[in-house]
Amino acid sequence: MTLLQGVLWGMIAAFWLPLYPTLRRGDIWEVMLALSSVATKSSLILLMVSVIRDDWMMGLVGVITLSVGNAGFMLLAHLLRRLGQTGG
Amino acid sequence: MVEVVSGIGLGVGLWFWFWGTPVLLTRHSILFKLHHLSVADTLGSMAIMAGLLVRRPREWPLLVLAVLSLVMWNTVLGYVLAYCASARQPVSVETPDGPNH
Repeated sequence: MTLLQGVLWGMIAAFWLPLYPTLRRGDIWEVMLALSSVATKSSLILLMVSVIRDDWMMGLVGVITLSVGNAGFMLLAHLLRRLGQTGG
Repeated sequence: MVEVVSGIGLGVGLWFWFWGTPVLLTRHSILFKLHHLSVADTLGSMAIMAGLLVRRPREWPLLVLAVLSLVMWNTVLGYVLAYCASARQPVSVETPDGPNH
């Protein structure tokens, strides 16, 4: 196993940690926090695999996930806050 | 040399990930968790990408774009989540003439 593969397995292990709070019926903001961490970590894992395989189409998907994914999250956060205010 | 510098970047990044992510499983306040997670995800991911950039310098446009969008969006998302999560608790400020609702 090379250094990159070892780091990749470490990243996958760290990727599982935020998934547990998303399964609990907790506060919506804790679930949002956990899912934003999952999004960032998954795109980093994509970038790591694209470096290992030297396949830059996957790297492109990782970068698109990084830039568009969190933007969508912000809109969702504002929507949830507005729904919370109007008792929706 | 490239291997060493890249290994250091990847190692520091992974350490940050494992430093900040377990806080999500504790009972601290959401702002405490948000702080640790923002540091872990932003700084850790930047260190990992620096390690990757050292290994693949010819792909620098894609990796620099990833770093820039990570830094921008993660920071702003952290602010939005902090604002939204703390906006629901009414804050009563003690002023000389009584609580200010």
